[in-house]
Amino acid sequence: MNSLLACFVPESRDLLQAATTSLLRLEKDGRDEALINEVFRAVHTIKGSSGLFDAAPLTRLVHGAEDLLGEVRAGRLTLSSDLVDHLLDALDQVSTWIDALEQQECLPGDAAAATQEKVTALRAMMPAGGDGAVAARGSAGEAHADWLSLLDETERRAVSQRLADGEPVVAIRYTPDESCFYRGEDPLHLLRQLPDLLALRIAPRMPWPAAGELDPYRCNLAFHVVAVTPQAAAAHLFRYVAEQAEIVQLSPDALATADTADDSPAALLCGLLTEQRRVLALPAQNADEMHQRIATVAGTLANLLQGSALPFRQGDVDAAVSDALDSGRPEVLLTLLDHVQRGLAPPRAEPARRAAARVLKVDQDRVDRLMNLIGELVVSKNALPFLARRAEEVHGNREMSREIKEQYAVIDRLAQEMQGAIMQVRMIPVSDVFERFPRLVRDLARQLDKRIELAITGEDTAADKTMIEALGDPLLHIVRNAIDHGVEPAAQREAAGKPGCATLRLSACQEGDQVVIEVADDGRGMDPARLRRLAVEKGLLDAAQAGRLSDQEAVNLIFRAGFSTAAVISDLSGRGVGMDVVRTTVDRLGGGVTVTSAVGQGTRVRLSLPLSMAITRVMMVEAGGCLLGIPMDLIAETVRLDPRRVRAIKQAETFVLRDEVVPLRRLADLLGLPLPPADPDAHHAVLVARVGNAPVGLVVDRFREGMDVILKPLDGVLAELRGYTGTALLGDGSVLLVLDLKELL
Amino acid sequence: MPLRLDGETLYLEAECGVEEALALLEHLAAPQPPAIDLRTCTHLHTALVQVLAACRPRDVTPPDDVFLARWLMPLLDPSMP
Repeated sequence: MNSLLACFVPESRDLLQAATTSLLRLEKDGRDEALINEVFRAVHTIKGSSGLFDAAPLTRLVHGAEDLLGEVRAGRLTLSSDLVDHLLDALDQVSTWIDALEQQECLPGDAAAATQEKVTALRAMMPAGGDGAVAARGSAGEAHADWLSLLDETERRAVSQRLADGEPVVAIRYTPDESCFYRGEDPLHLLRQLPDLLALRIAPRMPWPAAGELDPYRCNLAFHVVAVTPQAAAAHLFRYVAEQAEIVQLSPDALATADTADDSPAALLCGLLTEQRRVLALPAQNADEMHQRIATVAGTLANLLQGSALPFRQGDVDAAVSDALDSGRPEVLLTLLDHVQRGLAPPRAEPARRAAARVLKVDQDRVDRLMNLIGELVVSKNALPFLARRAEEVHGNREMSREIKEQYAVIDRLAQEMQGAIMQVRMIPVSDVFERFPRLVRDLARQLDKRIELAITGEDTAADKTMIEALGDPLLHIVRNAIDHGVEPAAQREAAGKPGCATLRLSACQEGDQVVIEVADDGRGMDPARLRRLAVEKGLLDAAQAGRLSDQEAVNLIFRAGFSTAAVISDLSGRGVGMDVVRTTVDRLGGGVTVTSAVGQGTRVRLSLPLSMAITRVMMVEAGGCLLGIPMDLIAETVRLDPRRVRAIKQAETFVLRDEVVPLRRLADLLGLPLPPADPDAHHAVLVARVGNAPVGLVVDRFREGMDVILKPLDGVLAELRGYTGTALLGDGSVLLVLDLKELL
Repeated sequence: MPLRLDGETLYLEAECGVEEALALLEHLAAPQPPAIDLRTCTHLHTALVQVLAACRPRDVTPPDDVFLARWLMPLLDPSMP
């Protein structure tokens, strides 16, 4: 992929996401200028960048969307839900095409046709009289915005006042022809005839030549005008020079754009500094007057310095001021102001964007590779203690052994810091998964004709990217379930005395080394009685078993495979997969999921996941002559068991541990390893693990130490193997197989 | 006669038409350019405006005419870039 395209693809995805988010918020907020501008800017940027590639249909489609947004921005079109649907639809199409661009570097063959259809649909939403003229107006309006920001405060206030009063205000950019004087035209005279002039800026088009080379009969001036008059009247006045004048009717937001552009602190400072320069440059009658002015300016600068982060120091100012006072000439001070202003000028061009540019976008693979390398470093440093022991035991060199241990301590600390740092790099905020939900909730709610408010909190909570990515699907299931089964139709809600608009809360927070994500709705909740009945109907339980379940246990039935509560299988959820898939996924990630529900009040699903799964603590055991690892989080305790305490219930062996019957399994048996010749009197080494909340005892040959390892999943041909979570490399270079007890038992 | 030189001051008076542009330029391009007095000027042709804007006379007395005073003077302000 060429590097331009490689930049364009991720950037456009970000912009599309931003546009979608803003559109959805706009749908609720109606006319929030900032949001409209944001959508507009995002779409506009995509349009601009897409022109660089062979993607004309994409550009045209985005252009269509931009035109429509332009109308919304100008206040001629209200953003209805239908309109949002169409715009989102267009953005979806663009997103699909961007995927295609990434994979094939060209658009699919039917793109032109698809564009035609969608653009026609978008055009249909245009207010009457839109279309072509609109496109022209859009660009002219923008061109004006840049100089409208040059208006001073009084003028701007006057303009917005008149606009607010509903009077027609036009902006005119008049660039007389160079030879206009020969035709008897006098541009200034023409402008004099404009009634109610609010602003007039006269500026040379080209820098002035030296007086001797000036041709006084060649017009080098351009005029920018704001006047209160209907556009038609202005057009009439300029009818003989129509091609030299660009007349635009101003809408209230045109000035708002200019306002936001100019209200940045940097721009205000710039303005203040310009004023200081003007003061200094005024011709002074005598030295005293100049001294006074310099003192005034010095005072102002000192005040500015206190209130803001100006790119100069008090020392510089003091030096310049005293120099100016001594010589009675302001030049040094003027030069300083020049420097400062030049330093301030860049922030005018979107400070946010500049800051973002410093963020390095790195391919995930590279981070993963770095992480693997650090993982290997962590493991290889574990070889040093072995080496130290050898130095002492085999070579009898105690001093050498000690030095190796000292070096080991240093490397160990560095490796741990590196590990921490790379973990930080891999942490991404949960907003990465959350941000798709506003769209999903809106679409589903519209489809089901329910009213749902989505409240998202804690989206800044960060966790390892593997976790965040794996969370997507489970969350999708849960949110769909909540909307489809949990939330009642508005009428039913109102009948139950609840607000017609349901609230769906999506929240994330960090609790210890876990990240907790909750999805809570205020819908109808789950009825335990109904769940029991359904479980019996589906043959999952018999009536007696169902009857013994507590309410909470009944609610937990939804995690059983094949249990779907929807009476009708809908398009959204209720295919009998869902909550069991959620549980499996979350389990695999080393997390947990709980559901609580109250009839009539709603349901709350709580997912908790480890912040990071890169480092796993395992306990090493020996069984059947093999060294095996068992994830520490599953292990409850280790016990020495007298063989006489083992009771056989039918074929199953059990033992009693603190008044609880615990099933006993032999690990070597489970893995098909040869059982070592057992000493009948020797105590069994039993490791009590909790699998799915039930304890189970595992007989092993010997316990070994616990250890932090980097767990690598089995992949390729080995991926099929059941019973193992993955492998880890040990300090002495051997490979440790780590068991997945949930699968094994 | 709209252009009148009196000592070191050049007076532009009443309606100043395009035909004065060259004369004005000659005055201002001289080694010792005069001060400019616009007090009684009622209109300045655009051609004259650009001569003034290009030559930046050191001392300009603003016109009484409201339109010119408000919109033209900023252009002749020597402190403007």
